[in-house]
Amino acid sequence: MTDHGTPVILVVEDEPSVAEGYELWLADQYEIRLAYDGQEALETIDDSVDVVLLDRMMPKLSGKQVLREIRNRGIDCRVAMVTAVEPDFEVIEMGFDAYITKPPERQELLDTIEQLLDRSTVSDTFQEYHSLMARKGALQTQKTETELAGNEAYQDLLEQIETKRAAVDDDLGDMGSDIGFVSAVRDFADDDGDFEDSELDDELAFNETEEDE
Amino acid sequence: MSDTYDVSGLLPGSVLDELPPGTNVAIIGPTMSGKREVALQLLATGYESGEGILCITTDSAAKICTELERHVDSLDQDRVGIIDTSGSDGQEFLNAMTENISSPSDLTGISIGTAKLSQQFTNRGVTDIRYGLISISTLLQYMSNKKVFKFLHVYTKRISSTGALGIYTLNTDSHDLQVVNMMIGLFDGIVEFRENEAGEFEFRVRGFGRKSTPWQSL
Repeated sequence: MTDHGTPVILVVEDEPSVAEGYELWLADQYEIRLAYDGQEALETIDDSVDVVLLDRMMPKLSGKQVLREIRNRGIDCRVAMVTAVEPDFEVIEMGFDAYITKPPERQELLDTIEQLLDRSTVSDTFQEYHSLMARKGALQTQKTETELAGNEAYQDLLEQIETKRAAVDDDLGDMGSDIGFVSAVRDFADDDGDFEDSELDDELAFNETEEDE
Repeated sequence: MSDTYDVSGLLPGSVLDELPPGTNVAIIGPTMSGKREVALQLLATGYESGEGILCITTDSAAKICTELERHVDSLDQDRVGIIDTSGSDGQEFLNAMTENISSPSDLTGISIGTAKLSQQFTNRGVTDIRYGLISISTLLQYMSNKKVFKFLHVYTKRISSTGALGIYTLNTDSHDLQVVNMMIGLFDGIVEFRENEAGEFEFRVRGFGRKSTPWQSL
């Protein structure tokens, strides 16, 4: 995943005219790479790719097989399945982050890509939101409600929390969507355990340092 | 979808009568303070009038079904879904749709189960759903508070964007107070229990955009 600059979209589509159609729609805003089958997709993909548009039905490797290999390699990108048939639950279970029904509308394609790009920043925003909330939780154990009500730093913290919460929710997108919801949970569910007694203290120390800057 | 969820008859007086769709409420208190009963009752309150119940449990589905049956005449498979994370094999016959997850730490599995069961409800025309999560404390035994926090944030957001009612339980004496306070911050309101010096249980209601109620005896 790229940290800055133009997002990179990998289009995997065996029908050249369709692939080039997407490229025409997307090339203004993104860097586009094209792959005409699953094998080529796996040769092309690397950590610089942000979003993959993956056709479900392709000769040789299917979209499902390509997705599995992308996940196995641990490449940090969002993958949308592009499918002509209304997808069943399997698409969610397989680990796709979104799906687009064929033929897509231009706006639908752009909206889906934007949502997936937002989602790739949620991990950092979430981390910051958790830190702020941990800090609030700590202050609540140290001071009474009356003390907190008159404490300017605490009131500032509440404002920061509201701003951060809104940012997280914006990055998450529509959690009423089944695939969006499962994909959002999957994003952090597989993180390695950070199960330490001191983790909250670390969060607090992190915040203190931040404020000194 | 109805305008509100009926939550009357739950607590003495009429401190809490109804809640708007999309509300998340946590029932918190020390061990054995009756939170679980209140949460189950809250889950079951709209059942007779056609609502659905979708409950994530860290115990077996069979146990939750038995407990729910104390609050409703009879369970109807079409309107009850249980996500059993206890690792049981799910071979028992229950009057509920069940999804079996191998461990409470399989959050992806829990979210897939939730999405599957909510689709089942939609297919059956059940639009008003009360979601339960019993209990947050068990999740905290399996995962870091950071991970549980993120999960609950996403989960509560799902509840609010689908217009459901979310009901959660949390033990206040099993975790650091700081962690409890942090988790509480994710919910719209809290029903809190405590034991007073005479050994009796009291409750208060906080949040829901109004002033906290004073402690009252049950």
